[in-house]
Amino acid sequence: MQEKENVVGTPISRIDGLAKVTGKADYSTDHPVKNAAYAILFKSTIAAGRITDIDTAEAEKAPGVLAVITHKNAPKLNVKGGLRGGAMLQSPVVEFYGQHIGIVVAETFEQARHASHLVKVTYDKAAARVDFDKLVGEAVRPKDKEDEKRGDAKAALRAAEIAFEAVYATPIEHHHPLEPHATIAEWNGGQLTLYNSSQIVNGAQNATAATLNIKPEQVRIITPYIGGGFGSKGGQWANLVLTAVAAKQVNRPVKLALTRQQMVNSVGLRQHNHQKMSLGATKDGKLTALAHEITTHCAINEEFVEPCGDCSKLMYAVPNSLITYRVVPMNLILPTYTRGPGKATGSFALESAMDELAYKLNMDPVGFRLKNEPARDPSNGKPWSSRTTVQCLTEGAKAFGWEKRKLEPRQLRDGNTLIGYGVACGTYPARQRPSSALVKLKREGSDVTAIVELAAADLGTGTYTILTQTAADALGLPLNRINVRIGDSTLPPAAGSVGSVGASSYANVVNDACIKITDELMARSGKQYYTRPTASQLMISEKIDSYQTRVDSDAPEGADEYSSHSFNANFAEVRVDMATGMVRVSRFLAVTGAGKILNPKTARSQIIGGVVWGIGMALTEESVVDPRWGNFVTRSLADYHVPANLDIGTMEVLFVREEDTRSNKMGVKGIGEVGIVGVAAAVANAVFNATGKRIRELPMTPDKLL
Amino acid sequence: MRPFKYTSANDASAAVNLVTGNPNARFLAGGTNLLDLMKEDVERPDELIDITRLPLTQIRRLTTGTNQGGITIGSLGTNTDAANHPLIRQDYPLLTQAILAGASGQIRNMATNGGNLLQRTRCPYFYDVAMPCNKREPGTGCGALEGINRMHAIFGWSEKCVAVYPSDMAVALAALDAVVKVSPPGGKERMIPFADFHRLPGDTPEKDTNLNHGELITAIELPKNRFADHAYYLKVRDRSSYAFALVSVAAALDLQGAGNRIAQARIALGGVAHKPWRALKAEQLLVGKEATEANFRLAAEAAMADARPLAHNRFKVELGKRSIVRALHMALTGGKA
Repeated sequence: MQEKENVVGTPISRIDGLAKVTGKADYSTDHPVKNAAYAILFKSTIAAGRITDIDTAEAEKAPGVLAVITHKNAPKLNVKGGLRGGAMLQSPVVEFYGQHIGIVVAETFEQARHASHLVKVTYDKAAARVDFDKLVGEAVRPKDKEDEKRGDAKAALRAAEIAFEAVYATPIEHHHPLEPHATIAEWNGGQLTLYNSSQIVNGAQNATAATLNIKPEQVRIITPYIGGGFGSKGGQWANLVLTAVAAKQVNRPVKLALTRQQMVNSVGLRQHNHQKMSLGATKDGKLTALAHEITTHCAINEEFVEPCGDCSKLMYAVPNSLITYRVVPMNLILPTYTRGPGKATGSFALESAMDELAYKLNMDPVGFRLKNEPARDPSNGKPWSSRTTVQCLTEGAKAFGWEKRKLEPRQLRDGNTLIGYGVACGTYPARQRPSSALVKLKREGSDVTAIVELAAADLGTGTYTILTQTAADALGLPLNRINVRIGDSTLPPAAGSVGSVGASSYANVVNDACIKITDELMARSGKQYYTRPTASQLMISEKIDSYQTRVDSDAPEGADEYSSHSFNANFAEVRVDMATGMVRVSRFLAVTGAGKILNPKTARSQIIGGVVWGIGMALTEESVVDPRWGNFVTRSLADYHVPANLDIGTMEVLFVREEDTRSNKMGVKGIGEVGIVGVAAAVANAVFNATGKRIRELPMTPDKLL
Repeated sequence: MRPFKYTSANDASAAVNLVTGNPNARFLAGGTNLLDLMKEDVERPDELIDITRLPLTQIRRLTTGTNQGGITIGSLGTNTDAANHPLIRQDYPLLTQAILAGASGQIRNMATNGGNLLQRTRCPYFYDVAMPCNKREPGTGCGALEGINRMHAIFGWSEKCVAVYPSDMAVALAALDAVVKVSPPGGKERMIPFADFHRLPGDTPEKDTNLNHGELITAIELPKNRFADHAYYLKVRDRSSYAFALVSVAAALDLQGAGNRIAQARIALGGVAHKPWRALKAEQLLVGKEATEANFRLAAEAAMADARPLAHNRFKVELGKRSIVRALHMALTGGKA
């Protein structure tokens, strides 16, 4: 029999692509649920205090209105059930501007929205903590973040031959996935079905059950497609459970979608980070000390601190290191995981400072980094499972034409524009998380088909596609005989599509399940084989009509003896208009070492997505709070500037070859997060190289470059 | 949005009568701004008269009247069609550039020429009904005056309102001395010079224009000019497309004879005031002078001399100067850097 060629590692187009472009893919509120009513949330217009009265009489009388739910009539919920950010209508206390304070349910969406404008709320206002700059002196050490010390960084900085110190600031950012958070809730007796955009299927199920004080088995999450999430649909928020509350109240299915304006204070944010970065080095460019001191904000009574020091603690060989976090509780919504959490923002400080110090040392920034390459993970002394920084830098420099870069800024110009090159590195942990999968084989004559089931999630990045490829190879079947079913909590439990664990966790468990089913079929046949048959061949030769097996997988034994990460190097070419200060990234090269690339096409798209996010972070994205009232003034995509097509120049994506089966059997590392890490610094470094101006406060809008 | 009555009008006078008869009625054309504002409860009409079927889409050469030799642009044509019309591309490239600098392709396909002039400000305090805003609710105060005002006015603002007018198209129309043709209720058509069409906020920021309730824009006329070879629209913004101007400049030069002597100059600014802002002093200063970088700089200084920046938009003064110089330079070289 002819050997089937492997499809893993080939650039097939995503198998859900046709359904998506033809509108056949049902996103959360697209599901055809009969007799659905529409709900809309309404929100506080103060940042701190109490609701003294909430008059819903006029709203209740408005056309089409079925119910108005506020803290006065909402059912009691377990606010510690695992949903993020509170705001579940359990009390009259207001903790941030735009906190949910009620729901209107009506026959149509517009009727609900209209009625929500008729609710009259009176408040007893309290002093709100909303001005970060005024509160920064009150920052405290977070409960779960000890200072991370190695050696004596402060003393080493004082003793350093060359020392450098600067403060880098990144603004509040919002995730703003194209699909806002949206849910349909349908009760059937005690059973609750939630069509809801969820990056962690079982997490959404468990948190909903715990919050409603029911059993997880009573909750089913259905989320076949997700229109982007970027962390905001990882942990779930009050809107999920409030849809279920509304559906119970009106005894009908209810659809609830956040409006774009509501997204800014409903589903978390990336916090503003104020990062003091100190580096010390010898004259010939060996790092001797690093201190990364981070100050940020969290919710008024719940802590979340993104780990901005994570890159700093392991990127370079530094004998003396100090990483500290301080946090200011504020009347703002709880921050949460946002693409490349901590690493995207922390690398802006670290990699900008590395560039600044290289300039001070009169060294090429690529060479400076190569000189400080650590043989082991300096944060824990473990050997790397593999490390590709050197490869990424050297292959990238060659492919990008780095040798054309001048050490001194303002050397390249074209008419009114100054041209500059920048480089920056990044990293993100590679992990495999516990997941289970069920493989079902069916045979009709010589036609064998497989169904692969697990409660995984596809953020739009290609989970369906890579799992179809994995199963096709492992079972010896063509792609079109594989049916991957994910996004349903009734399927075997799986990790979330978060923190770059999706591809490795899912691909490994599916591969394991396919190996196991083949083993079982071989054993069942009772025969000896000289070459290992495929499951497909066994089904045919043994005339088995149907067979299934389930497997539970976790990271391989010994994986935690190594430090496992994806790494990248980013190269940016920018063109800066000398008069207007407008910056354009004309060319960008991302070189990534992320283990086995299951599908170079979807992987490339995912890296490009990360780079575009990073360019947005560098140049355009900023959520602005009015420090008088705590409200966001950037509430729409006209005010919150994600990059447009015209902002993005030529994109090149390279993957370095690496085999790393220490971190997991298939050698798959994540690429969802690492793509953004280092991007903003590469752009900022290129802006310095172009103009001689060092911008340490993002985004680099034209006014900052005048 | 609030419930409203919807009627589709078949002729202009009927449409005018319907709106005139109800103080809470509004014309509906492309709806690219009005409907968004209704969804957010900023605009609260109880009746919409859909005028998109009225035959007011033509663009043609004017053979009679005060603007003879110029063109007339139907108010209900789309921005896309206006930008790409051969007469406009050839004789008024400044207008093409300005239209294409605004919004997105999808929005320009829906938005009409008359509607473009009636865009409301994009001030975030105007858009958020929980915020004070004299323009939306007179007497509640100006949220932006002491708030986040990076995008706001540096010319012509009042304590009541510091908002800026968002249109790009209108900045070019101001530079080109457009005239707005209006059908009032019952009466005969009136012509409003562009400089008188939009208002400064003063004590009545709720009024953006000098149109009376029920008056319908039927056309925009452009007089003949000699700017076609030397015109440029420069828009400086936070991202390359689909962003409102930090500062924009519509610059046009009429160069005669040898030595690049300037017979006439036009400089209009966007993103700096409650209306398209003509830099008349700067224009005057250039007349009779040679088109040189040094003279452009003098003009730019003159244009910005009276600027009154707010806490967060001080940069607009310097940016405005540089942008004027750049736009004039680009106009001089016919769009080449």
